[in-house]
Formats: sequence, structure tokens, C-alpha cells
Amino acid sequence: MQAACSPLAVKAPRFPAKAKRVIFLFMSGGPSQPDLFDPKDYIKRMHGKTISAPINTNELRVGTDKFLALATHGEVRPRGQSGMMISDLLPHTATIADEISLLRAVHSDNNQHQPAALQFHTGVTADVRPSMGSWISYGLGAENQNLPSFISIHPDSDTRLYGSSFLPAAHQGTKVVIPQGEKQSPIDYLADVSGDAKAQRARIDFTQRMNRRLLQQAEVDVRMEGMIESMEIAFRMQSATPELVDISNESEATKKLYGIGEKTTDKNGRACLLARRLSEAGVRFVQVTMGGWDHHGNIRDALPKSCSETDQPCAALIKDLKSRGLLEDTLVVWSGEFGRTPWSQDLSGTSPIDKHGREHQPESFCAWMAGGGIKPGFTFGETDDFGFRPVSGKVHLHDLHATILHQLGLDHEKLTWRHLGRDFRLTDVYGNVVKEILA
Amino acid sequence: MIRLLTYLLLAGSALRAEDGVAFFESKVLPVLQQRCYECHSHEKKIKGGLALDLKTGWQTGGDNGPAIIPGDLAKSHLIQAVRYADPEIEMPPKGKLAASEIEMLEKWVAMGAPDSRVAKVAAKARTIDFEAGKKFWAFQPVRDAKAPVVKDTAWPLDAMDRFILAKVEAADLKPAADADAYTLLRRVSLDLTGLPPTPREIECFTADLNHSSFQIRHSAFAKQVDRLLQSKAFGERWARHWLDLTGYADQIGTSNNVFAEHAWRYRDYVINAFNNDKPFDQFIREQVAGDLLPADSPQRRAENIIATGFLVLGDVEIVAVDKLKMEMDLVDQQVSKVGTAFLGMTLGCVRCHDHKFDPIAQTDYYAIAGMFRSTDSTYKTDNGVWSSVHKTVLPETAVQKAQREQLLAANEAKIKALTTEREAAEKEKAAMEPQIAKATKETKPDLEKKRDALVARIKAINGEVEHAKFFAPIAPKAFAVHDREKPADMQITIRGNPYALGDSVKRGVMRVASWGEMPPIPANQSGRVQLADWLADSRNPLTARVIVNRVWQKLFGEGLVRSVDYFGVRGEAPTHPELLDHLTTRFINSGWSQKQLIRAIVLSRAYRMSSAHNAVAMSQDPENRLLWRMNRQRLDAEAIRDSMLAISGKLARSAGGTALPLEFPENVSSLSPKAVNPPAFNLKKMRPIQDFERTIYLPVIRTAAQPGSAKLRDVFDFTQPAQISGKRAETAVPTQALFLLNSDMLRTRATELAADLTQTESNTGARLETLWLRVLGRPITSTERDDAIRFLESAPAKTAWIELSHALLSSNEFLLRL
Repeated sequence: MQAACSPLAVKAPRFPAKAKRVIFLFMSGGPSQPDLFDPKDYIKRMHGKTISAPINTNELRVGTDKFLALATHGEVRPRGQSGMMISDLLPHTATIADEISLLRAVHSDNNQHQPAALQFHTGVTADVRPSMGSWISYGLGAENQNLPSFISIHPDSDTRLYGSSFLPAAHQGTKVVIPQGEKQSPIDYLADVSGDAKAQRARIDFTQRMNRRLLQQAEVDVRMEGMIESMEIAFRMQSATPELVDISNESEATKKLYGIGEKTTDKNGRACLLARRLSEAGVRFVQVTMGGWDHHGNIRDALPKSCSETDQPCAALIKDLKSRGLLEDTLVVWSGEFGRTPWSQDLSGTSPIDKHGREHQPESFCAWMAGGGIKPGFTFGETDDFGFRPVSGKVHLHDLHATILHQLGLDHEKLTWRHLGRDFRLTDVYGNVVKEILA
Repeated sequence: MIRLLTYLLLAGSALRAEDGVAFFESKVLPVLQQRCYECHSHEKKIKGGLALDLKTGWQTGGDNGPAIIPGDLAKSHLIQAVRYADPEIEMPPKGKLAASEIEMLEKWVAMGAPDSRVAKVAAKARTIDFEAGKKFWAFQPVRDAKAPVVKDTAWPLDAMDRFILAKVEAADLKPAADADAYTLLRRVSLDLTGLPPTPREIECFTADLNHSSFQIRHSAFAKQVDRLLQSKAFGERWARHWLDLTGYADQIGTSNNVFAEHAWRYRDYVINAFNNDKPFDQFIREQVAGDLLPADSPQRRAENIIATGFLVLGDVEIVAVDKLKMEMDLVDQQVSKVGTAFLGMTLGCVRCHDHKFDPIAQTDYYAIAGMFRSTDSTYKTDNGVWSSVHKTVLPETAVQKAQREQLLAANEAKIKALTTEREAAEKEKAAMEPQIAKATKETKPDLEKKRDALVARIKAINGEVEHAKFFAPIAPKAFAVHDREKPADMQITIRGNPYALGDSVKRGVMRVASWGEMPPIPANQSGRVQLADWLADSRNPLTARVIVNRVWQKLFGEGLVRSVDYFGVRGEAPTHPELLDHLTTRFINSGWSQKQLIRAIVLSRAYRMSSAHNAVAMSQDPENRLLWRMNRQRLDAEAIRDSMLAISGKLARSAGGTALPLEFPENVSSLSPKAVNPPAFNLKKMRPIQDFERTIYLPVIRTAAQPGSAKLRDVFDFTQPAQISGKRAETAVPTQALFLLNSDMLRTRATELAADLTQTESNTGARLETLWLRVLGRPITSTERDDAIRFLESAPAKTAWIELSHALLSSNEFLLRL
């Protein structure tokens, strides 16, 4: 197959692009924006008392039916030159306030993890559609033909979150894990099962001789050629992939920056550093998933832990990209699938307010973006006195998707694929580019 | 309120018309232009069907009806929207207008919304012309065309061959020669059963097949075909094709791994339907309306109920907090599934508006949706915000009941024994506490250790008791639906919003594919019986064509209509429309028998063609749309795994039954009836036999990697079980090659195969013969024998045969069916 015909061949964007690639830091579970970015005086005043937020009465609620205000845990203070509001729980993120745009009125359509995460990744809350990374790979191709164009590090279990659905399989995300110990390999089935490299190569050679004889008989068969080719790629991946995820040649200072070697930050630090390496090597879309944000109970104990595991690695990624001149054309997005309620949740029904947690909230939540032509040091969007519904600067997920594509030089209304007679888009029939946050 | 009164007074006073227009032009128009036109004007977009750049635009309004009622602020959607009064419609979406701007709009509407703008463009609403729509091929009645005349009269074995040959001849081409006996037997075995032929079957067949008499060769092949059609393996393969159209999984919805512990009954029902050759029209009726059909025995009644699992075993959302919306979304899923699976129509597109391409009106959608809205599919459980899929108790025979009561007694005994054990342990623990308190430094650790062991045992017993109680043998149940108490027509939901209702639509069917009046729906019924009757009627232009085409696609790799799930105007036109109608007619005349259809197709000449290359034909018709040869196919995930098991001699016969091993307490969690989250599975342990059962019997998980050796499904293009899709992808990606190189499963099969070979055959020559017959279904060639012997000599002695078996199991010839 000629390079030009390959689904991964580089394609020119529709209009001049600000970003060439994306790193998506997915905070799975729903980080608590009332604690981290969007505190409200009213909630603070009403702590422990019932409030009357303009909730949708068609929805069932469990453990939140009393609507007790739960004051922000810790202090949220102005940071950087712009005075962006960031919690003490995120001291490292506080140091990159002047690099990021904070979106405080993001909203989406479903308040359960699986559908909400699915919508964040594919635009729809049910069904099977191509994920964001697949659309981008389809729109732009791979910068580096020796690597997948879409890599997802530590993804959640739902394979639809990095699937390509009806787009060609070349655009599906490759799942990578940071090996913990000798036995684990970064991608599935990478370790030689026979444990004898020479025997394995001899076996592959035998298989390939069979395959070539069959191809010769068939004379022409593009699929057979593809299968022969992918066997060789797989063989090379066995040695190339560990090299790619090997960070031993990174400087001690870099490792320290990401918190590698520290118990709480090691895993995510390695993942973020790998994300930088992959981006640098030309992978279009790299995702790092960091879980554990689903704080239904005792959020005051649990939230600081999630923050300390992720804060330094995420901030380090921005600093590292910047010092390498990569931040300019790398778009970084940080978000959960939704946020959390300003009122408390107590599933036991008997805990004191200080032991309560918070329920899911898709009505409004916070995300941040950096690099790739996004305004640095900018706060966008405002919520009501409760921190429940947006009052200005509303950004729906579809708008966020449209904006990400826009920064890559792709028009979200024109990036389509015909399936069952219909032209599908990442943004379905919705989406507006959020021009306010563009530099 | 006072403000409103003032405006009304103003409006009622002698406010001159030109003042109003001046106010509009100077104050209101700029706001509309700057804040609304981007999404609501003819120049840009007309979102929600609403244009605000013309007076007629807001008069007609969008999906919600008129946007402004002059003088009436409360009824004017536009005013409600800019006030952000309803979270569903807040305009402009990005942020509220300034208070002064809102006030101005209110004032304008209150004064009667004077508007000087007149139409520059005449907006014409699209209306669907059903009579014109019926002219499209897929909505035309099925016509039994006469088979065309062909030049080569010796080639056709069946009328269907003449339809194919005529086109090939018209293009001045020749059809490919017959495939050789080995290729043909492997092809038909894999297509019909998903398993390769055994060396013995190959031997029996090829003896006859090399006979000089065509009649003997033909009847030998027919004998093989009948053997395959009668084998249980046939249903085990073809049922899976059907499950791809249902979104089947052993999990309800996608959140929290909620187990669907009765789903397997539907899977077994489908396997049996294929093996018993249940007429397809009956198969449809049972799945859409089985609960409403008469039955002459408890078993038949049970079967009918189980069949309706079709409607509820897809990706059913059960955790949505807005239950009305959740129910409406499920109705949508049911309408879409019926549309795709039976009709090849994208009915889901019609929820919010008339179909953009096909002659299907929004009212057609709600006519069918009303039937599912009149059907109960889910119910709210005691777990937090969760619902579950409705279950129906199945009628039992006396024997079944007696067996169950025995099991129940055993379970009670087990619970009793555990409880007794727990009481003893608790007593012992209580007795130990004072001892520990008094113990010395030396004796204390031992005592504590003993006490902790007791505590652990009590905890384990509690888990076992909870598990035994939860899974106590109960009367058999199935996931199924039933009619609501008060079936009713349904109102259109505007943009799918269940709180924004439009006109009520009489229950009925798709008009473009109907003939005359639909029989009336009994007052106390949903109408699913009438829907099923319409679907399964020989006059329905879509249903029979769609299933015949699906069968053809499984056997030839491509459908006669290549877009197998979509027969609409943007789909692919049939390559052989007369052949499709010819087969459809035969199918209907045979009493909708899938086995007879399959038998006829595989006994045709066309099915026997080799897949060999032909440069002339290739240059003229590279996609083989004329069917000048057989298409090669890659084995699907099930056929790959099952074939490996059959080849290594390890395939276990299964009688079906539960897929999820919920009998292991460690595999389940959250069993307490009023927990916030529902009972869920967490598969830590599989039954050992499950590594050897056919893939269709393994649990299907929607949101995670497939368990155990079923992992192979994820690698080889298994249809996502949240999706309805009649055709599998056939990708070639390095992940598959890595699996072939390094998966434990493949290595295990290779090791078993090698062990079996070395045990059963004494010398290298015989082993090689058998290996090739088992894996590739053909004798080894001399080139290959030389190559293999050299390979064996240079490979490590201990693993040489494993390596060779592994090499063959990962070869393209094994993975493809030629």
C-alpha cells in the first residue's frame, strides 16, 4: 500500500492550525470544582444548612435530598498575574495559572459515570461512536508513521472510550500501561510467550513463508499483504515499545519535576512524562486517565489524596512542554466527565456534615486548557450563587469538542464520515467554537 | 408584574404603529442581529428550525411552535428562553443577555411585536410524498422475476446461478472454476458451523468428490451440507449472527457491571430457533410480541416470553435519574432496533424530525413508538436511583418444579449449616475475649491469632449466607416485557425532550412500507402484535428482503445489498435486484425457512466458485460486484477461537445455560437488597470448563475487556455489544498479530495440539499430514513438507512441534476462509 493511500497519511488541516497535537488529561470520576476552582460565599455561609438550588425536579436523588450546603474544603485563592482562583489543594497547578485558561461553566448531559465519560470521549451518552482521538487521527493522520496516531495511557475499562467505531481501525486508540514490575508489558501481548527469541523469529519466518506462498497463489490480495505487514510490525513493536516507554534516559531533574520516584505521584508522573515523549515523537492524540475522583463520601479526607496524586504530574507536563517549546503547538485539556454538587451527599444518612461527600454534577463543572493557541491566564464562565447552573460563558461538551478540533485546523461541521446513509460528526448537530478563550 | 401591566396598558393605548416599528428597528433588531442571528437566520444557521431574520420566522417558529405570541410574554418561548426560565432552553446558550436587553425584548413583545421585515426568501417546508417514496426499489413489492437466459447452460445448478451468470456473461467474463474439494469442505463447514472439518470428514468427502460423475460429487456435497445443517454447531454459529443485531450482553446497561443473570435464556432460545429452523416470520412475532401470543403448552409459553428479551437485552440504561427521559430513550432504542434488525431502516433518525433522506415521517416513528411506550420494559428497584429490566416468571412443568424444590431444600440446609457454624464461632470468640484480656505477653499473640481467624471465618460465612440467600433457587425468570395497564397513543416529543410534547400520533406502522389499513389495535393492548404481523407479512417489502440479504452476506462475504443494515436511498443499491427478489420469493414460499434458504444457496454453483484471481475480471470489476468469483473472508472472532479448540481436540460440548459464573461468591458484590448500588459482578474467577466452551456460551461484557479466553473477541472485531450491526469489520492491525504471536491462549492450543499429535502419530511424516489436515483442512504439499522438516530440525527439540503448531495456527491460511 502506498503511503498516500494509508489512512494514517498526514492530511493538511482545513485552515491554519494553532495546535498540531492534543494531550487530554482525563480526571475520571468527577473532580470537585466547588472545592478546587469555584467556591461560593453563599455556600460557605449556609454550610450545613438546607439551600434551595434550582434543581430539576424530574430527577431522582439519593443522599442529597436535604440539600445541605457543604463549604469549600480549604482555601481557594487568586493565583498568578490574572488572579485565577485555584485551591491550596493544587499548589502545583497554582504555579501554572498564567499558562492556562480555566473554564468554569462547562456542562454536559448525563450525571452517571459511564454515559458521561462516553459523551466526553465520543459526543454521545449511549451507542458506539468514534472517540475524539479517532476523529482527530482521521482528520490529520499520523505525524510519525512508526507509531499509532492515538494512544491512551491507563484508560478506563470501557473500550468505547478509545474505539474508532465506524472509522477505519487504524484510527483506534492503542492502550498503554506503564509497566509496574518486570512482568507487565506496556501493551497487551507484547512479551514473547515462548520466552525464546530465536525460536520465535524462526516461527514467524515459517509462518511468513506460508503466508507468502498463499499470497503468490492468490496473486493479488491487499488484505493478505496487510496481514503479512502487520506481523512484521508486531515483531518490531516487541522491542520498540519498551524503548519508547523507557524513561531511564530522561534527566533526574525532569523525573523530579514530574514527581517520579515519589510514592503518591510516581504512577501519574510516569504517565504524564510518557505523554510528553509520545507527543514529542508525533503522536496526534495522547490521553492520560487519572482515576479516583468519585468522592461520594468523606470528601474532605479523600479529595486531598486525589489532588496530591495528580497535581504535580499535570503541572509538570505544562512546564516541561513549555521549556521544550512544545506548548505552543500542543493543546492540553484537563477535565473530568462532570463536576460535583455544592450541596452534600450522605449515603448513610447518619454522618455528620464534615464526613459528607458530593454527588455528580453535569450542570456545571470546571476544566482547563493550555497551549495550542489558548489564552493563557484567562478565566472564562461564571455560575450562579450556588455554583450549580452557568450564568455566563457556558461551554457545552460539544463546544469544547468543536474548539479542540478548531485549534487543530479542523472544522467540526465538515469533519464527517458517512455511515448508514448519514454524515456523522464528533459534535453531532451541535457545537460552537469557544472563540472567547482563543489567544 | 407591574412592569407587564404597564406594557399592556401601553400596547392598548394609542401607540402608533410607526412608533412600534421605529422601536423595533432601532432597539430590538440590533439585539436580534448581534445575539441571535448566528444560529437563527437564513444567512447562517436555522437551529431548532427557528429563523429570527424574518417576521414569518418567529411567527411559524421552530420545533416548539411559534417563538413569539404578540402581547403574551408568558407564552412566548423567545422571552422564556432569554429569561433563562427553563434550563432546557436557555438562549443565547453561551450566556444570558444583559438585563436591559431582556427588558427591551419584553417591551417589544408586550407591545405586539411590531416587525417591519418581509420575506426575501420563501422558505418551503419539506413534506414527504409517500406515493412517490414507494417508487424506490426497497419499498416496491417483491417481484418474482424469471431467471434470465444464459449462454453457458451447463454452469447453472439452480435458477439463482442464472441471475449471476447472466451478468458475468454480459460483461464478457467467465465465472471462476469450482473450488477444489478441500477448500469447498472447509468453506462450507466454517460458514455453516464456525468449525473446520475433521480429518475424518475430509477423508470421507474427498473420496466421493474426486469421482468422475458430477451427480455423485453433487450428492456427496449435499450430504455434507445436510450433516452440517443438522449439527448443533449450526445454531451455535448462526445464533451469534442474530445476537449481533440485538446488543446482547450478560450485563444490564453499561454502568456498574450489573449482571443480567437471565440473559442466557434468550441466547439459548436463539440457538434453538436456528437449530429447529423456526420459521423466520414466527421468530419475528415471538421476539416483538411473544408475551401476547397464544401458546399450547407451558414450554411454548415460556419460549414466547423469553423471546421478547430481544426488546430489552440491548444497552438499556437503568441508572438515569430522570426516569421519564430514561423510558423514552429505551423506547427510542427499541424502535431503532426493530428498524435496523428487521427493516434495514434508520428509524432512530426520525425521533426529532422527518427522515432527511428516506420517506419516513416523524409521525411514522411515533406510531411505532406508541406501541413500545405502551409496554413495560423497566421498573424502579430499591437500589438508590437504579432501575432494572423487567423480569417475567416462566411457567414450569411439574418435573421442573420438583427439581427446583429439591435444590431449594438443599440450599436451605446449607444456609442452616452455615448459620450454626457462625453461632458456634461467635460463641467461641466471645469466650476468648476475657482470656485475651487476661493473657500474658507470651500467650497473647497466639490467642489473638486464633480470634482473628474466627473473625475472618464469621465474615466469610456472612458473605456465603448472603450469597446463598440471594441466589436461592427460584422459579425460572426471563428478561421480558409486558403491556402496560393503559396502552395509549403517544405524543411527539419535540427534539426528543419528553417534557415538550407535540401532537398525539395514532399507533401504526411505517406508511411507505404498508398496504391498506392496519388492523385495529385492541383497546387493552400495546399494538405489538399488529406491529409483528406487519413486519412478518409477506407483503412487507423490506423484512424478507433484509433477512435474505443478511444470509447471503454471511455466505458470500458481501450482501447483494452491500449496506446490509440500511436499505434506504443513501444505502447501496442491490447488485442483483432480480436475484434478491427471486430468493426472497422462494424464502417466503418455503414458509420463511432459513435452513432451506442456506441449503439452496450453498448448493448453488456460485457458492462453489473458487476465490482465485483473474486479471481481466479484476481490472473490470475489482470489487467483485458481478460475483465472478467467491469472496475470501477472514474468520470472525468466534470461528477463530472455536476452530483452535476443535483442532487441538479440546472443544467442550455445552448444553448452554448461565454464562456468568455467579455461583462463586467472589464474583459478585453489593447483594444487599436496599444498597445504593445494585448487585453487580466482578469476574475474578471463571469456571475451568469455560476456556473450552464455544465462544457464544461465554459471558459478553459491554464495558470491559472480555473475560478469560474470550479476550480474543476484543482483538478480532467482535461487534461492540452496545451496537446493532449486521456485518463485522475485518481489520488487519498489529494488535492481532501480537495476539497471534504472544497470547497464552494460542500457545496453550498449540501445546495441546502438539501433545496430541506426538501421542497419536508415531512418525514425522504422519504427524505433518495430520497437522495440515487439522489446521488447514488440506494435505501438506511437498514444498511445505521439506520446509517443515527443516524447521523441526533446527527448532529446540522440546518445543519443536509446539512451535510448528503455533506457526500454523497463526498463518493467514488458517485465519482466512478461501
